Amino acid sequence: METRELSERLRSHDPAVGLRAVGALRRLAEQVEAAAVERAREQGWSWEQIGDALGVSRQSVHAKYGK
Amino acid sequence: MFEQFAAGARAAVASAVDEAALRGDRRIGTEHLLLGVLHEPGAVRALGAGLDSARAALDDLDRTALAAVGVDAQGVERAPLPVSRKRAPFTSGARAVLPRALVETRRAGSRRIAPEHLLLALLDCERPDPVAEVMTRLGTDRAAVRAHLRRTES
Repeated sequence: METRELSERLRSHDPAVGLRAVGALRRLAEQVEAAAVERAREQGWSWEQIGDALGVSRQSVHAKYGK
Repeated sequence: MFEQFAAGARAAVASAVDEAALRGDRRIGTEHLLLGVLHEPGAVRALGAGLDSARAALDDLDRTALAAVGVDAQGVERAPLPVSRKRAPFTSGARAVLPRALVETRRAGSRRIAPEHLLLALLDCERPDPVAEVMTRLGTDRAAVRAHLRRTES
């Protein structure tokens, strides 16, 4: 195991790292969603189809991303 | 509270709000206040680190945290988040900085809060406050920065 990896594992017991990871994952999920929705719209997906894929209503996707 | 802010400090807080939105953060934290303050040249001189390196330090903390839970997000396509109509609230840590900045202002004998006073208050934040982690990552010598700021304000 590399020193860097080892130190990261040790650090993962640090709640500051775990909590920061949660925040970063949430932000990552939002940014990946935004990118995927944009692509789906470019490729002609309806708001309904995007909502189905995300497990949310058509209205909520449209309210968030519709311009 | 904000009526006691000089123009520079007002601009710094407005920039902090922008920095949080840019990152997709839902709250304005001490780390965003630091980024906001670093939009002011005087603060950059005092800290010895600019906006870009502070942003990079914050990204680096995120990358390390993600790696600790086994996630490598490098090369993943991301898009900026849609602009939220809701105003992002301040974290409790960020709220606590404002009265401390006011104390620094009084100590300096000034009437209004300047970006330097915000920076002095941020320098006093301890771990686990995010700004303390960013400053550690930047290699900030807090005592030296504090001394520099106190010297230049008198």
